[in-house]
This record gives sequence, structure tokens and C-alpha cells, in this order.
Amino acid sequence: MRSLRREPGVLLALLAVIALVLVFIVYPQVRVVLTPGSAYVDFLSAGTWKTPLLNSLQVMALSTTTAVLVGFVFAYAMVYTDMRWKPAFRLIGILPLLSPPFVVAASYILLFGPRGVITYGVFGQTISIFGLGGIWGVQTIAFFPFAYQLIADVLSRSDARMEQAARNLGAGPWSVFRTVTLPLSRPGLGAAILTTAIYVLEDFGNPALVGGQFTVLPTQAYGLISGFGDLPSAAAVSTILLSLALVLYLAKIRLDGGQSFVTVSGRASSMPRPPVPAWLSWACFAMCGALCAMILLVYGSLVVSAFTLTFPVNTTFSTSHFEYVFSGVNGVALRNTLVYGLTAAAFSSLFALLAAWLVQRGVWSGRRVLDFLLIMPAAIPGLFFGIGYATAFNEQWLDWLNRGVLIIISMIFWNIPVGYQAAVAGLRQIDRTMDEAATSLGASSLRGFRDVLLPMLGGSLRVGFVTTFVRAVTTLSVVIFLFTPGTTVATIRIFQLVNDLDWGGATAFTVIDIGLAIVALSVMAILARGRVSLGAARG
Amino acid sequence: MTPQLDRRTFLKGLGVVTVAAACGGAATPSPTATTAVATATPTAAPVTGTISVYSALNQSTNDQFFAAFKTAYPGVSIDLLPLAAAGELQTRITAEKNSPKADIFIGGSSEFHDPLGKAGLLEAYISPNAKDIAAQFKEPTGLWTGWYTGIFGFISNNDRLTKEIAGKKPATWDDLLDPAWKQKLILPSPTLTGGGYIFIATQIFRFNKNEAQAMDFMKKLHANIAQYIPTSPGALTLIDQGQFVGCPNWSHDILTEKSKGNPVDLTVPTDTGFEVGAISIVKGTKNLAAAKALVDWSITKEAGDLNVKLSNRGSTRTDVAAAPGSPSLTSVKLVNYDRQWATDNKARILKDWQTAVGL
Repeated sequence: MRSLRREPGVLLALLAVIALVLVFIVYPQVRVVLTPGSAYVDFLSAGTWKTPLLNSLQVMALSTTTAVLVGFVFAYAMVYTDMRWKPAFRLIGILPLLSPPFVVAASYILLFGPRGVITYGVFGQTISIFGLGGIWGVQTIAFFPFAYQLIADVLSRSDARMEQAARNLGAGPWSVFRTVTLPLSRPGLGAAILTTAIYVLEDFGNPALVGGQFTVLPTQAYGLISGFGDLPSAAAVSTILLSLALVLYLAKIRLDGGQSFVTVSGRASSMPRPPVPAWLSWACFAMCGALCAMILLVYGSLVVSAFTLTFPVNTTFSTSHFEYVFSGVNGVALRNTLVYGLTAAAFSSLFALLAAWLVQRGVWSGRRVLDFLLIMPAAIPGLFFGIGYATAFNEQWLDWLNRGVLIIISMIFWNIPVGYQAAVAGLRQIDRTMDEAATSLGASSLRGFRDVLLPMLGGSLRVGFVTTFVRAVTTLSVVIFLFTPGTTVATIRIFQLVNDLDWGGATAFTVIDIGLAIVALSVMAILARGRVSLGAARG
Repeated sequence: MTPQLDRRTFLKGLGVVTVAAACGGAATPSPTATTAVATATPTAAPVTGTISVYSALNQSTNDQFFAAFKTAYPGVSIDLLPLAAAGELQTRITAEKNSPKADIFIGGSSEFHDPLGKAGLLEAYISPNAKDIAAQFKEPTGLWTGWYTGIFGFISNNDRLTKEIAGKKPATWDDLLDPAWKQKLILPSPTLTGGGYIFIATQIFRFNKNEAQAMDFMKKLHANIAQYIPTSPGALTLIDQGQFVGCPNWSHDILTEKSKGNPVDLTVPTDTGFEVGAISIVKGTKNLAAAKALVDWSITKEAGDLNVKLSNRGSTRTDVAAAPGSPSLTSVKLVNYDRQWATDNKARILKDWQTAVGL
């Protein structure tokens, strides 16, 4: 990219991105953190946050490690091996992202609680899922898809020639993996670790259900709001979470320094990857199979309870829950969910890509700050993102604004980090000579971005789109402070049903919500086929 | 139910209210006149317009409750925002203070309404009908009015209670200290749920504010508690499934679970606590007359009877009978629950509790 002064278009784009980030990410959070009240200080000095803080750190270390490990194996298996059932695994692999709060974690308890269908019913054990072990297990499954998507995107773009060369020089498969594959996947790995760690830190739904008395910071914040309406103290917890995210971010910057991970250069490559040993393919297949079986079990139990009267007490087949769901305002909620989710996903993934390009390719000071601000939303519990929006944008002069629009905007910016991280990791793999070739031929930087880089970043775009869509249709906490009677969404209805103790209705609604999301994603995948070439073809 | 029938029930209810007012009037003659005027308001000068209602009530209650209100005040239409989570609604109203979107906040314990009033976000209104409500159920300046009550009880899983505790339901909270309950009880988390905190406060009032004794009880109880659950409804589901044997929780919700065919039962140990469900008008309302009408109506006998039927909760009116099988404020022995004290000392008590049980 040339100097900004010579490229007014780029400068304009940069200013626009900065303005949007300041207005829609920074400003609402400033409003939350600055919640007036002595309770804020009292809470910090009382120190009841210390145990949750330690718990949060412990959970983060454990869950991030296993989630990234599982995600890596899953990604490796999908990209490198020729194992069977890949399309099925790909679909099941994103199911855990589609978990509306409460409902899925509750299904774990049903299966693995002290009187769980599996633990007690099948094995006669009364071991309990509650506590640290439970959170660890559930979060590993809930968050490995983030790591899987980010790593697979990077792996799929890594150059097969390097691995072939290593093999030709006599290196064994393990040696190639250790000295070529692993180092080249570092941008994805780094992004995966950071993203997963921040999301684990921010996770509220899973610890709330299986945590028992093992309280982490987000459950504490939620409790302060939900149980006591104590906004100042909850804002204090949010501040602690944000500081932790900043520390994580700085640690990541230190770790991956300024090394080059370029694997896509100007020269064409159509070489196949070196074959993986058959036993490895089978091992990967077994692992992915076991993981997917576990996921299917959890989601399957939702389907069963949606179709029975009062699962597990009365398992008479019934469609009454579905009849209820399709009545009243529920249709509106489902329609809103789809419209908001798709719109937010489209804008969020494109915006993330543009921002990533400006940050990664740009040569202007202050890039690091923007970089952090674009990752920060991951560390903001949805609760505070929603409260921030409700506080900042509920002004009389803004009352003309449709609430649906505000909800979409909140979803765009809250879900930016994953798409952004994917795009940055992708850009780090693509040699600068690629876009420089375009600019030296007279194209503007923006044109080089649009015509050269954008088509090569299809995979990253897809990661951003899928993640944003899925999180948008399953988020509760952001929307809970913004929705109006006409702009209600599926998760709000599910939450209402859970609190009404209508478990059958809640699971039926969840099944429909997840089903619709899968259909929408499949349609998008079919439409996108052939348009986004590189990522889709190889991923 | 046809609308016509609804109107008839309403008129009958109206009659009862007027009669009750007249009877009350014998003892205290002065307010009779104002009451008559107040109850006649809907016919005298019809209230019209739309009000936005933030409701923490259950969906089934919402549907019928507001339909009945519409029958009484046909000119008023309601834009309902249902969210069965009073803490979130309280936070929303706080966050929206620059341009309030709600006219009415209904449902949820008064603990969620009171801070809004203190922060100047509520409109004080003493409804003429509030004279039928005892002082302990309403804010003296009218910032909020209590219209229903919830009593803390105990849910147990029938099968496991019979097999593991010899079918012995707790008659007092102290019965829960029996070692037979070891690791078989759960409790809504005192730090995360309003109900869990009310449970601790109840123990303190039970020991006449002797906090040391109450904390000693909580510490002993801790040995029997397997988990503190982050939401009150979540705890009920666990007992339904038999994951654990028993749990102190809200009586009305326990009855609802039981009525759905779950193998559970309700007991109300003696010296228990309760909540007061409130309604309040949000300051800045654009339709004060309609908002007042909803407050007036929700504390009528008709509304009380309907809510009792729909939600199994009690009423703050003495002339509303409790739902069949459910406890009422007069049928169970309650502690002398000092709501203000419990709210003011919350942070300290929770910290003491955490220290006592080592969490």
C-alpha cells in the first residue's frame, strides 16, 4: 500500500472504519464502564470478584488448550487426510456454535448429570458434571469450532510445495508436520488461541448451567444484573474482563512478533499435498467420529425432548410443542432472527475483511490500537454489549431509528473478531508482491484489494460470515436489552419459555431455530459455490 | 372464553370490589367516597391510548391478564414486552432513562422496583384501590404497589425422597440439616439469584436478626448442599429429573412443575420468607392516565383472582383466596421479613455468607 496521502480512497476507507469502530464498539463500552455510582468502587474493594477471577483464569487455560488442540486435529483431518464422511463432519463441526444459551448446556446435564441418562442410566455412575470438570468438557466442545475454522482456513492455503519439497529431501511425515506444517499454521494457531481464550473468558451460558458453585466472572456479572439489578457492580466485572483481554492481546503480539508466514506467492501451484499414512487418516476419522457422535448425542436429546410430552419423565410422542411454537408472535421472531442474522453476517464479514486489509497492509501509526479494538468485542460479554447499546443509543434524537437496525448493527460489531482474525491470518499468508503487482501496473490499492486479494480470501470471508450468522441467531444477551415487541427474536422467545419452565416448548423452538440456521447456511454455501474460488475450493 | 363472558365476570368483580369497599367503609368511613369515584373512572371518562408494558410475568399469565384488562378498559391498547426476568427489565429501564420506552413495569419482586424508584426513574402514584393493600406490600409514597405474593417453599423429588430420606419432608428449615440430606440438596445461588438471597435473609429473620446463628445454620446446611444453582427455574428442572433430591424454591413455581406431571411435591417449612410482586409507572410516561388505569386495575379483586388462578401465586389483597393446594400468607408461618433491612445489608450479608461457607 502506498502512503495514505497519495491514496484518498484508502484514507477515506480508513477514516470510515475508525469512525465506525469508535461509535459502535468503543463509545457504548465507555458508557458502561463509566456507569456512575459508588457501588462500582464498593464492589471492587469488597473483593468478591477475586475467586471468580482465579476461576476464570483456570477455566480459560484448560478449555483453550483442549479446544485448540481438538480444533487443530479436526482441521488437520479435514484438510490433509482423505478420511471419509468429510461433508458430514464439516456440518456437525459447526453445530456447537449453534447453541442458544441454557438449552444445550441443559442437555448435557440431562445426559451426564448425577442422574443423567448416560452416566447413571447406562453406566450406573453418580459422578457429576457440575463444577470445573464439567465446564472444561462442555467448553471444549462449544469452542473447538472457532479454532477449527480459523486453523482450517490457514492450513488450506498453506503451500503444498513446501511439504513436497521437505518430503523429497527425505523428511518423514512427522518431521514434515513438525518443521513445515506446524510453523506455517502459526498465524491461524495464534488467532485461534487468542480468539478461543477470549471467548472462553467471556462465556456465560455454559458455566451458568454446569458450573454449579464454580463461579466465573461472566456468571457473576450476570447474577449481579439478573438477581439484583446491580448495574454498577456488574460494570466493574466487565472492566476486569476487558483488562484481561488486553493482557491476552499483548501476550499474543509478543509471541508472534514480526515473522513472515507467507505461503501464497505469485507463482501458481497445483501440486497435491503429500499423502498422509493410512493409519493417520483412520486415527483422524476415529477421533472426528467420536467427537461428532458426542455432539449428535447432545443435539439429538434436544430433538427427542422437543417431540415428547415432558422428557424424560413422560416420553409419549407429541407434536404439541411445535404447534405452540408456530402460533402467536413466534413466526415474527423466527423471521426476524433470519433477517437480522443474514444481514449482520454479510456486513460483518465484509467489514472485517476491509478492516483487516487496512490494518495488515497499512503503513500508518496506530494500527495496533485499531487491531486491538477489532478483537475487543470478543471479550465483552454480550450482556454488556447490549447494555452499552441500550445506554448509548437510546436517546430522544435517535428514536426515529428502527430497533431492528440497531440490533443488526450490534450483531455486526459484536461478532467482528472471528472474521477479522481469519482475514488477518489470511493476509499474512499472501505475499505482498501479489497486491503490489497490481498497484505497480497502475491500479489503486483499493482496486488491488478488491480484484486481487478479495478473491483469494474467500475462505476467511466464509469464516466471518458463518461465525457471525451463527452467533447472531443464537445470541440472547445482546438482544435482551434492545428488542421491542415488533423486533423480538427466537432466542428471546426461547429464554421466555425456559423461564416459564416450558422445557418442551423451549427445545422445540431451539430445534426449529437451529434447523433454520442450517438451511440458511446450506443455501448460502450453494449460492457461493463457484464465486469464492480459492478458499472454498481448497477448504 | 368469549369477550362477552369476560365483561360479565368483570362486572361481577366490580360489584364485589364495591361491596368490599362499602363493607370496609363501615370501619373507616372517610375513603368510601373516593373509592366509589375511582372504581367508576372507566365509565365516567374513558381512558384511551397505547401503553408500553415491560412484563416479568409468565407468558400464560401475560396473555390472559392483559386480555382481561382490555375488557375492563377497551380504550387502552397494550404494547407488551414480555421478558420473564425482572433483573434484566430493571437494567433496561435504567439504561433507557434518557428516552424511556416503558410506561409500566409489572411483575418481579419489589426489590427490582425499589432501586428504580430511589434513582428517580419511577412516577409516584397512590392508587385509590391501594387502600385495600396492607402497608407492608406497598411503597409509602406510591413509587411501586405490591399486587401479588410469592412464598418460599421446598420442592422434593417423590421417588428419591421415599427411597433415600424415608419420605420425610422438612417441617422446619432445621430439618434440612439432617445428615440424610448430605449432598442431596441444591439451592438457588444466593449471590446470583434473588431467591437464594431471600433464603439467607429469611434465616436471619428466623433467628431474630442474630446473624451469627443464621450463618452457623447456612454453614451446616452447606455440608448437605451439592450445588448452588445459578437460576431458580434451573434448580426446579434438576429436581424434576431427579438429579438431586430437594431444593428450597418458590412455591408457585413448584406447584406449576407438579401440575405438569413431574414427580415432585411442595412443602412449606415453618418460618419461611416471601416476596412481594410489584407494579410501577415509569417516569416520563406519555400516557399517565392509561398507566394509572393499569395500576388501579391490577390491584382489584378481579385481577387478583385471575392472577392467582393463572400463576399459583398469592394476592396482596386479603379478599382473594389462594389457589387450591397453594400456601397463602395466612396459612403458613412467615418470618417477620424486613425488606428494607435485607436490601440495605445485602452486600455485607453475602460476603459474610461466602466467608462462612468458604466459597
